[in-house]
Amino acid sequence: MESSILESIGVDIIGVMSPVSICMLLVVFLVYSLSPSSPFSSSSTPLRTAANLVYLETPSDSAAQKLEGALLNALVFVILIALVTFLLVVLYYYNFTNFLKNYMRFSAFFVLATMGGSIFLSIIQQFSIPIDSITCFLLLFNFTVVGVLSVFSGGIPILFRQAYMVSLGIIVAAWFAKLPEWTTWVLLVALAVYDLVAVLAPGGPLKLLVELASNRDDELPALVYEARPTVLGNTENRGSSLGVLVGGVSDSGSVELQAVQRDNLNQTEGGNRSDSEYTAVEVLRFRDEDESGRDEGESSPLVGYSREKYSPSSEIVGIFNDCSCCI
Amino acid sequence: MTVAAGIGYALLALGPSLSLFVSVISKKPFLILTVLSSTLLWLTSLIVLSALWRGFLPLKSTSWWPYGLLIFTSVAFQEGLRVFVWKGYMRLEDILNTFADKVSKPRLYLTDKMQIALAGGLGHGVAHAVFFCLSLLTPAFGPATFFVDRCSQIPFFLVSAIIALAFVTIHTFSMVIAFSGYAEGNKVDQFFVPVVHLVAGMVTLINFASGGCVIGIPLLYFIAILTLIHCGRMVWRRLIGNGRTQGNL
Repeated sequence: MESSILESIGVDIIGVMSPVSICMLLVVFLVYSLSPSSPFSSSSTPLRTAANLVYLETPSDSAAQKLEGALLNALVFVILIALVTFLLVVLYYYNFTNFLKNYMRFSAFFVLATMGGSIFLSIIQQFSIPIDSITCFLLLFNFTVVGVLSVFSGGIPILFRQAYMVSLGIIVAAWFAKLPEWTTWVLLVALAVYDLVAVLAPGGPLKLLVELASNRDDELPALVYEARPTVLGNTENRGSSLGVLVGGVSDSGSVELQAVQRDNLNQTEGGNRSDSEYTAVEVLRFRDEDESGRDEGESSPLVGYSREKYSPSSEIVGIFNDCSCCI
Repeated sequence: MTVAAGIGYALLALGPSLSLFVSVISKKPFLILTVLSSTLLWLTSLIVLSALWRGFLPLKSTSWWPYGLLIFTSVAFQEGLRVFVWKGYMRLEDILNTFADKVSKPRLYLTDKMQIALAGGLGHGVAHAVFFCLSLLTPAFGPATFFVDRCSQIPFFLVSAIIALAFVTIHTFSMVIAFSGYAEGNKVDQFFVPVVHLVAGMVTLINFASGGCVIGIPLLYFIAILTLIHCGRMVWRRLIGNGRTQGNL
């Protein structure tokens, strides 16, 4: 019996939905287990972060004050993020790629080490885990270094990369949960709106970034979640039986998917043209709503595939080349 | 109750559905989506019912018939919703079959349709267990446990987990029976499901009597096993009967 369509429908949706759901579930568990048992034992001075530069919420303010303060906080935060994203676009435009890559690595390292480390310490404190400081430091260091390696270099299984992307999301979300209540909600809405504008509006920084990257046929050194799109066996050729494929985008040379077929040899004389078109099939967007602490832009892997049309009278041999996408 | 006990109660109510999920549903992404949407649908039906009954609650009554009325209306509403789900499923089936023709793959097999129905039922069951059992567990972590007067032999959470397990079974398999009944036009199957749901709901009223859960819960399990057996026999009949025609309906 042939395989039914039920096997393959909905893979893409699930591929994006499951990390988001896992991230949300784990954040809920984390915040629930780390929350103070009594509402009055919270720290006396709320932390001053970039998200409450303007207004520090206290429980004794009136609702109108809180709303106004929260809106101001959100405005300042969004402006800050927009400025930094534009800076990123400018740097990318002037080809400061090395600087950007190293900065990305540094920031991933920093987030995992400090913010992740602080959460790690809170867990140890909450559950009274008997662990000494040297072991703890070693574990944290290993966790951080493997995280940076898996996200930014090749040769590491995709599962690790996905797991670290999810844990980055968890860490940033757990940190955002420490903000005061009104600021959190307003910030959430403001970031969602900013996201839409930045990606879809013509002057939006993320859209510019994506366009620059696609013009140069390059991949951004950004924190990208790859859901590993499945290969579409698309055989629309009229003539020869050499099928086409989807080039999976992975970074720094390690190709985990297939090769892109290119027509190199043309064995018949006279011009037998074969057009190869690149069409962007699917832009996978993975954006966790809580992932807002990163000031680097993010984009998505552009999955391109080439379609070659053969004229019926030709005998064309295609040569398989390894496609290693440069980063 | 302690965390270990809490996890135990949660697994008691949801263990079989978890294993069903891992073994059958997780292999096909479409079924995962079906489970999620049917969970959402069931929860929405609960919200609507609670909105409808808001004005009359809490029922400060010692007799059983207001609760009986509550259960009757809720079951009637949910069974009516099941007919709508069936109609929605018919359209979904058309869409899927058209897609299958377009990519030149075979149309939906009988087993596929039953699996979709199973996923739908599982969504209902999981929603019931989460709503009526897990939501009682989460605020109750701590060193002690709780006993109810009318069923004082076992902790209250254990009772609710056991009842939730029975209802998960009933919901999961009655969806399969119902869809098969609607597809074949089999009146017995079509009426079996609402009747079973209603009887199961009413049987829980026995738990109101002091010591009633000793009778009520075995009765509930009798109904759950009846549903299981009926579903098993129906599936067997259809699959064997269709074995000659390549399993396609």
